[in-house]
Amino acid sequence: MIKTFTHETLLRYVYNELPAKEQQQVENALLHDAELAASCADLLLAQRALNNLSRTPSQRTTDSLLQYSRTFLRKE
Amino acid sequence: METMQPSDSALISLYIAGQENAFAQLLERHKARVFTTIMLIVRDEDVAEDLLQDTFIKAIHTMKSGRYNEEGKFSSWICRIAHNLAIDCFRREKRSPLLNLDTTSHAFNSLSLAEEGAEAAMTRDETHARLRELIQELPAAQKEVLIMRHYGDMSFQEIADATGVSINTALGRMRYALINLRKKMAAQPVFYDQNLYPRDTASVRVQRIAS
Repeated sequence: MIKTFTHETLLRYVYNELPAKEQQQVENALLHDAELAASCADLLLAQRALNNLSRTPSQRTTDSLLQYSRTFLRKE
Repeated sequence: METMQPSDSALISLYIAGQENAFAQLLERHKARVFTTIMLIVRDEDVAEDLLQDTFIKAIHTMKSGRYNEEGKFSSWICRIAHNLAIDCFRREKRSPLLNLDTTSHAFNSLSLAEEGAEAAMTRDETHARLRELIQELPAAQKEVLIMRHYGDMSFQEIADATGVSINTALGRMRYALINLRKKMAAQPVFYDQNLYPRDTASVRVQRIAS
């Protein structure tokens, strides 16, 4: 019998938070359950969309922090 | 061949022992997550740059003074500092939601136009700007979990502990945050980026005719 999984379990799966055994069970279920696979694909697409919003600070800010750290070291 | 990267824990030990390069690696590894977390809360690039500095300065002080607690992940810890500073700043300044919402000018645009067509870049930027607005429209609890989990690299259990709810509540909030985002994006086709959410319209049409 194929085990059913909740959306919450799928969420933990796509964020790599499931224990290895449960992860394996989800992956087996994904092979046979088209609806589950579609839900999983939706979550992965949402992740990808959110990843695209990621951005980095300016080089100036990064350089200031590195400089601060070096100065702090000398003070100690 | 893939080279093994030192763990955060190893870098922290090296940094405390005086190797400045270890801090440079930590900063490089985590600055984007931290900065994005802050940006999604304060929505002002200059303020976000300042808060990023404050966040890492706190980290420097904690590590160099030997007060860093090895329990838990560095990424979760640093993002939690950033999150708290950003929330404090947001509350203190009581920012108008209309302030600096021009996210199409420079904020969040890290790719140069030379790397892609101008039209494609504009569509992408509009989609990303809209998605950021939709994140702001989420209920506060859902937005908080989404930022902490996706950008702050905190586990659902860590989020549950930090926000004083059960892990199932944290998971539920994340689930509804994603459902809400998806619904809102789908309801506005002009912002519905085919690259992000590909839809096979041809197959949909065939299914409808057949049914």
